[in-house]
Amino acid sequence: MNGKLEYWVKIPIGPIHPALEEPEKFIITLDGERIINVDVKLGYNLRGLEWIAMRRNYIQILYLAERICGICSFSHNHTYSRAVEEMAGIEVPERAEYIRVIIGELERIHSHLLNLGVVGHTIGYDTTLHLSWLARERVMDILEAIGGNRVNYSINTIGGVRRDLEEKHIRAILDMIENYRNEVMPKIEEIFLYDPTVEARLRDAGVIPKRIAIEYSAQGPTARGSGVKKDVRYNERLSVYPDLGVKPITPKEFTGVVKGDVFDRMVVRVGELWQSMELIERAIDQMPEGKIKAVPKDNTLLFQLKKAEGEGIGRYEAPRGELIHYVMAQKGKDVPAKWKMREPTFPNLFAIARALVGEQVADVPVAIASIDPCLSCTDRVAVVDANTGRKKVLTERDLLRLSIEKTRELNPNVRAKPEVVGVGCPRGGVL
Amino acid sequence: MNVDEFVKAFGERFPEAEVRVSENKQPHPKRRVWVEIDREKFHEAMKFIRELDPKAQFSIIIGMDAGDRLLAKYHMELFWEEGESLSLVIGTSVPKDDPRLPTVTDVFPSALPYERENQEFLGFIFEGIPDPRRLFLPDDFPEGIYPLRLDETGIKPEMVKNAGHPYKIGGAKK
Repeated sequence: MNGKLEYWVKIPIGPIHPALEEPEKFIITLDGERIINVDVKLGYNLRGLEWIAMRRNYIQILYLAERICGICSFSHNHTYSRAVEEMAGIEVPERAEYIRVIIGELERIHSHLLNLGVVGHTIGYDTTLHLSWLARERVMDILEAIGGNRVNYSINTIGGVRRDLEEKHIRAILDMIENYRNEVMPKIEEIFLYDPTVEARLRDAGVIPKRIAIEYSAQGPTARGSGVKKDVRYNERLSVYPDLGVKPITPKEFTGVVKGDVFDRMVVRVGELWQSMELIERAIDQMPEGKIKAVPKDNTLLFQLKKAEGEGIGRYEAPRGELIHYVMAQKGKDVPAKWKMREPTFPNLFAIARALVGEQVADVPVAIASIDPCLSCTDRVAVVDANTGRKKVLTERDLLRLSIEKTRELNPNVRAKPEVVGVGCPRGGVL
Repeated sequence: MNVDEFVKAFGERFPEAEVRVSENKQPHPKRRVWVEIDREKFHEAMKFIRELDPKAQFSIIIGMDAGDRLLAKYHMELFWEEGESLSLVIGTSVPKDDPRLPTVTDVFPSALPYERENQEFLGFIFEGIPDPRRLFLPDDFPEGIYPLRLDETGIKPEMVKNAGHPYKIGGAKK
């Protein structure tokens, strides 16, 4: 009897939890106040999209792709169109490329404003939530004026865009940018760059070091916040982005230090808001006149795609990171043989789960909110109902073994053995 | 390292692999490298890629059912620090009655969630995978049923509850 007691406590966070917007499950193992293991379970939002797509033609999948996710609906549609264009060798008119850039950057602005508000709400700054979402309404109104909907604007089609930008839209966009520059962005910078409370709360929470970000293939602002200079728009030389001068944004240009914590990821998002406004202005200046569709009629397009063969990949930098779609054609049919996508949240979730080890429980909600998780995107494959089946349960011994191994990574002196004890039972030579 | 240098280096190391380069019709055309290689040489090829670029980023495993074989394609992004990156798709295929593939988690640790996903949905067996549990499907889902397969181990019609959408599973009801 050495008198020393240790406690392992497992806390399931989710699937339904006040701190999470969407259903997912984190099983967190605690040693006192420190997290020693995080286990992620997904699949509470499976809708069977890949399986449904086996029964839809190319044009119908456009609308299905847009409904994968509400916030990044343009990105899925755009990336899927790019994959089919690469597969069939369709050339997009230049004006359509510029319109795609403008809509994509408008969507990035609304997504980042949403996430800044959510993070403010998570740390208890509800005023931030209301103000940033009020500012976001202006972008949504412009997107509604262009596409007809506040979300799911259905702007893309294979080989171009469906709606042209008119003079009144361009005037409204330029007015909006001026309003943001003079009134909204100074407030947001005051909160997220210079407020001492926010900095004290978000510094050193959910740290993802640069090595971990590269090893776990983190994407988007999650990677750039750790100092990884990676941006698909820049690396892929995508569309007309190289003519507009896009660059990966790291926190170094704003604060001078890179730590890879929640604060740095917020700084990257604030920087990308500035960059998106510049890109929209340059795109409006350089936009040529001309056609907006390669193939004017959908029937002609489907007939053309029936003769296509091969495979194509589309990549795009969605607001959360690299989005990739893959399409494989069936010769003689207007239904693709395979349509598969990977969303940026998928690798980011595992990176943040790894980064939570060693943190406090209080930082879990803000760390998860800082990668801007989009679980509807991530859970998308087929699932069906089952009536019988052997139930597989992860025993406590397995979890303890994993936990102890993870702890040994951090501290090789841990001498615990994975004995099966009840949660909260005293260990270590009591009996 | 650009596309031509990579194709030359890879072709010298693995002369039996099929390598082709595709180009799309964008304002700034992007060239992609597509590689097909046998299962026996697959793990070696992944190690070779990792040696070429220690910071390679793993993107996706595309698994699909192609009749009597299962295909697996791995997309990676190399040399992203030099500006324009190299987009590489390396594919392999396994027979359906022997769907074993070597795991690449020892080379690319971030491939683990994708391998778990393909294991439960298509029935691949990744040899040496460190964590073979399910990721998306519930734990009480019957074993031996792989939802995205198109043969008799796929979804059975009696398992599907039609929620009233117009597409009936076994075709429209007469």
